[in-house]
Amino acid sequence: MLHTKIIDIKKDKIKTSIAEAFIKSSSYGASIIFNGTVRNINENKEVIGMTYDSHDELVIKSFEEIYKETREKLKIIDKAVFIEHIKGYVGLGETSIIIAVACKHRDQAYVLSRYIIEEIKKRSPIWKKEHYKDEQSEWLKGIPIQNEKI
Amino acid sequence: MKIKLELFGASRDFSNKDYLEFEIEEQLEIKHFRKKIINYLNKNFKDNGAFIKIVKTSAFCSEDNQIINDNYKITKNQKIGIIPPIGGG
Repeated sequence: MLHTKIIDIKKDKIKTSIAEAFIKSSSYGASIIFNGTVRNINENKEVIGMTYDSHDELVIKSFEEIYKETREKLKIIDKAVFIEHIKGYVGLGETSIIIAVACKHRDQAYVLSRYIIEEIKKRSPIWKKEHYKDEQSEWLKGIPIQNEKI
Repeated sequence: MKIKLELFGASRDFSNKDYLEFEIEEQLEIKHFRKKIINYLNKNFKDNGAFIKIVKTSAFCSEDNQIINDNYKITKNQKIGIIPPIGGG
């Protein structure tokens, strides 16, 4: 059971309540909601907001692949996974990503949630431009994506 | 033949638009297309070392959303996406 979406912040909102409803509908015993937000300091610079860019189709494809491989790699078969990531500008403290998972047991839920966020950071074509208090901004350095595989 | 290069992430600074257009006379591989993009940057931006580094470290994707390697041959009018180093979440 998987839900994925890119939220264009100009047209839509990212809401934890939607993740909660999705997870409740699965009726598994253990659930975790991870909420990623824009933090105030990065490399000693005062951050006031972040612009997220994404290649939507490739990002959704990567979410689906990450979900599928948790069956083989983590041996977690029964699960519900909700992943939404925003696109556009968000201010300090605002949510950029929600990953909600539900499994039969809590140890599986912790492992699954952690695995998904770490893989997204390595594999999903999403970019961040930080905006600073002094009105400067810059695209953050990322990691090159591997050819022919996301 | 026309190639529309869709810009993402840091490569968006290459243009005021979301894309760049290249007129190409014959089929070419991604590794040669990469050089065309660098030529464009050399013509249009001074002190463009950071931009060129982006092109050299980027992957590319085809119209059907497949990541393509340097030997992929562009044979017709199409959209190609440039995928700079990533880091979301």
